[in-house]
Amino acid sequence: MTKARPWLFMGPSLLILGVFVLWPIVQSLWYSLHDWTVGAAEQPWVGLGNYTKLVHDPQFQRALGNTLIITVASTAVLVAVGLGLALALTSENIVSRVIRSAFFFPTVISLTTVGMVWKFLLDPDIGLVGGVSRALGLGAVNWLQSTALALPTVIFVNVWKNAGFVMIVLVAGLKAIPGEYYEAAALDGARRLQLLRYVTLPALRPTMLFVTFIVTIQSLQLFDLVYVMTGGGPLFHTDTLVTKLYRDGFANYETGYAAATSWVLFIVVVLVSVFQLRIFRYNDAD
Amino acid sequence: MKNKRVIAALAGAAATGLLLSGCGGSDGGGGGGPVSLTVWTGFTGGDRPGYEQIVKDFNAAHPDIKVTMTVQPWDTIQQKLPSAWLTGQGPDIAAPSSDPNAIAQYVKTNSVLALTATGAGDDKINTDQFAPALVKEFTYNDKLYAVPANYATLSLYYNKKLIAKPPTTVAELQEDAAKATTGGKYGLVLADNNTIQMWPVLQWLSGGDIVGADNCSTIGTPEGQASLQPWVDLVKNKKISPVGLTGAEADSIFSAGKAAMEINGPWAAPGYKSAGIDLGIAPIPTGTSGQSVTLGSTAPLAVSAKTKHPDQAQQFVAYWTSKTAQLKFSQSTGFPPLRTDLADDAQLKADPTVSVFASQVPNAKLYLPQVPNATKVDSDAYVPLIQKITRDGDVAGGTASANSQINQLTGCSK
Amino acid sequence: MPTKTLKWFYVGIGLILVLVPIVWTVAGSFRTEADLFGHPAGLIPHQWTLHGYRGVWSQLPFLRLLGNSVLFAGITTALTVLFDSMCAYALARLNFRGRDVAFWLVLVTLMVPFQVTLIPVFVELFHLGWLNTYQGLIVPRATSAFGIFLFRQFFMSIPRELDEAARIDGAGHLRIYWRVILPLAKPAIATVALLNFTNLWNDLLWPLVVSSSPDMQTLPAGLALFGGQHVTDHAVLLAGAVISLLPIAVAFFLAQRYFVAGISTSGLK
Repeated sequence: MTKARPWLFMGPSLLILGVFVLWPIVQSLWYSLHDWTVGAAEQPWVGLGNYTKLVHDPQFQRALGNTLIITVASTAVLVAVGLGLALALTSENIVSRVIRSAFFFPTVISLTTVGMVWKFLLDPDIGLVGGVSRALGLGAVNWLQSTALALPTVIFVNVWKNAGFVMIVLVAGLKAIPGEYYEAAALDGARRLQLLRYVTLPALRPTMLFVTFIVTIQSLQLFDLVYVMTGGGPLFHTDTLVTKLYRDGFANYETGYAAATSWVLFIVVVLVSVFQLRIFRYNDAD
Repeated sequence: MKNKRVIAALAGAAATGLLLSGCGGSDGGGGGGPVSLTVWTGFTGGDRPGYEQIVKDFNAAHPDIKVTMTVQPWDTIQQKLPSAWLTGQGPDIAAPSSDPNAIAQYVKTNSVLALTATGAGDDKINTDQFAPALVKEFTYNDKLYAVPANYATLSLYYNKKLIAKPPTTVAELQEDAAKATTGGKYGLVLADNNTIQMWPVLQWLSGGDIVGADNCSTIGTPEGQASLQPWVDLVKNKKISPVGLTGAEADSIFSAGKAAMEINGPWAAPGYKSAGIDLGIAPIPTGTSGQSVTLGSTAPLAVSAKTKHPDQAQQFVAYWTSKTAQLKFSQSTGFPPLRTDLADDAQLKADPTVSVFASQVPNAKLYLPQVPNATKVDSDAYVPLIQKITRDGDVAGGTASANSQINQLTGCSK
Repeated sequence: MPTKTLKWFYVGIGLILVLVPIVWTVAGSFRTEADLFGHPAGLIPHQWTLHGYRGVWSQLPFLRLLGNSVLFAGITTALTVLFDSMCAYALARLNFRGRDVAFWLVLVTLMVPFQVTLIPVFVELFHLGWLNTYQGLIVPRATSAFGIFLFRQFFMSIPRELDEAARIDGAGHLRIYWRVILPLAKPAIATVALLNFTNLWNDLLWPLVVSSSPDMQTLPAGLALFGGQHVTDHAVLLAGAVISLLPIAVAFFLAQRYFVAGISTSGLK
């Protein structure tokens, strides 16, 4: 009875996650070992064939590289920008509350809408960005069609969408820092920057790790935004692992090959997360 | 309140039950109420009402069959249809995609029914009246697996405010495109991805091609390269079009009056007219060989192998492609008729829009017809090739690598 | 003070970057195509048109789509909050063998991209006979690893003395969860509910995959039809975006007080 209780509490969630996430991911591993096609009468076993094919697939190498660039750059910029905003807007007065809401608003807009709106905004012919830069005599840049600029532009929009989320979580973390820490440091005559460095940031570390963890996972799985804005182009310069597996799986019907890509992605995500959570849980225990 | 509704529902159910038993049959396709058929298509464009009319007319003429068509983006169909058909959950009939050789995949997985109800009359599929290229495109191992849901050719759209007289030869087309590129306007707006294929038409006009009849790439041959070079020069140096456009983007530029010309199909005309463009539609100019050529484009309409009503479903696709339905469809949408017996129809010939598109049917070629892995040849080789050479101008280098990539995909052993 | 000027300069630039696209979107839904192309540098319509909204209204069974969206996002969110908080209670408050394993399994599911499991899940729903049903739409999404994670963090920050006091009064775990922990967890509930509701509301692919019936379509799925292949009608697309955004914006401004306060006091650590 008592032994069963925890499982009663967790039952619904674990059952749903087990049936609709964990078991399907195991099945996709099975697919990845076959030349698996939806609906085909035979699914020939290929062993690790799909994985060796991936290693030699230049599209895969490019997608993996892009995914890592997007993740590292987005996470770094997001945490920096979000921290700056959080520090600037900690106080509970009406002004900072309203401003915080404004920054948070992009978080609730769907990625497809964000992608579509920014695609329009950046369009050299109708977009505000091109219009303004032309009015200033700078000429219009075709952001999403330049092989050099497309990836940074995607990263920018990803930051635009998620900076408010990082900010809110960090504001929460800042508020949880006991006031005594600051009082003690003030008694020692610490200056503002010193306070930041020796009191705020160390106390904020668990929250920073949490938000880094969430943002990293989200960036590694980036799909909708890229799919809507560039479709992975130009010339695969913004192709991510998920846009690639989507193309292989749903446009070319190579389910087994797409499943192999997804397992590589899954392993990358798990490795990165385990690495981050190790640090995270270490602090958790305190 | 609530009770009343429940009673009404029960009464309704009882009445239906009585009617059914009165007819003496349960289901099984024959005796009972009307057979329900579902159809998925991706016709979200200006031609959508034309297809909906076909369904409406069919339902009116066949009280024993009720067809419901769901229109959703091609993307969505592509995501759902393979697994839906696998599990028997999918629609009875669907247009899977408008991509080249889209039906091949479904044939391979035994998802589509071989169509056997061919013959004469409105209730049979009149294969002998279809354009031969279409029948060939949908035939695998001597069995027909789809009918054409439509057949479009491309024409030259031009903005009369920017171009007085449409070009009639490829040389004039190139000249006009360069000349009209001025004052923030583009001479000939070209899309290279997620679009009806425009670049293949340019290549054909200049004497080149992409894949030969032996499934081997012809893009790296001297003719292939020479057919790309002038257009790459025009885009890269004369800026007759922005690079990397999708079809929808190119269309918006033209419909905003910022482009003098565009190569496009009949579905675009209603939108351009309502956008207030002083629109001219002309046949594609003649190519370097003196011959006229354009792209023919079709979407397959196929029946699920798991449908419970194969006969009714075939009856429906037969009606869709029938002379009656197609005449009405062409008149309302401007699409050329997909049947040869309508080619000389007086009513269609008198229609200024239909006649331009219809007049080019004899010159139309399909894009990558029956080429193995056609979707990949397009997405992994051809689209990247155009995107690359319009940016860096290296036609020789780009075509060489595209050439070997295509051969690998098509299994050409040359 | 220079730091203060710097601070407001930074916040000001950020505000412009955030607000201008939103204003542009709303304004753009009232602009004609000619206006958009003619005045790309403009933010406010030169000539107003309702063409976009008329297009959406005339081509969509709007109320039906709205109803389905509210039903799907609403019920699923309610279930998610319940299941997630229960699961998190066990993870945060009960000591039992396998707790760490369970927690890790939950975390692992956070790392699975949705596209990866799409086909297997579809086949499962088929075997369950759940395709084209509301339970098929709702049940698989009725829990979220992120929610469990957030609740767990929150519950761990609630002093254990409170449970013990209740236990001395003879309360069991179910009672402690329902009477002590949940009432204290309102901020976390608001946070999980809002984040889940927006995710579900915005979800396009899932409703499309589960139901092929037009009667069960949700708002984003219906609006996606306007991203048609051939001619882009910007006003209609932007009007669709504004319409789908509106309920979320209302929910957000109603909930944001609890939400911002919530996530603040939750002390995520």
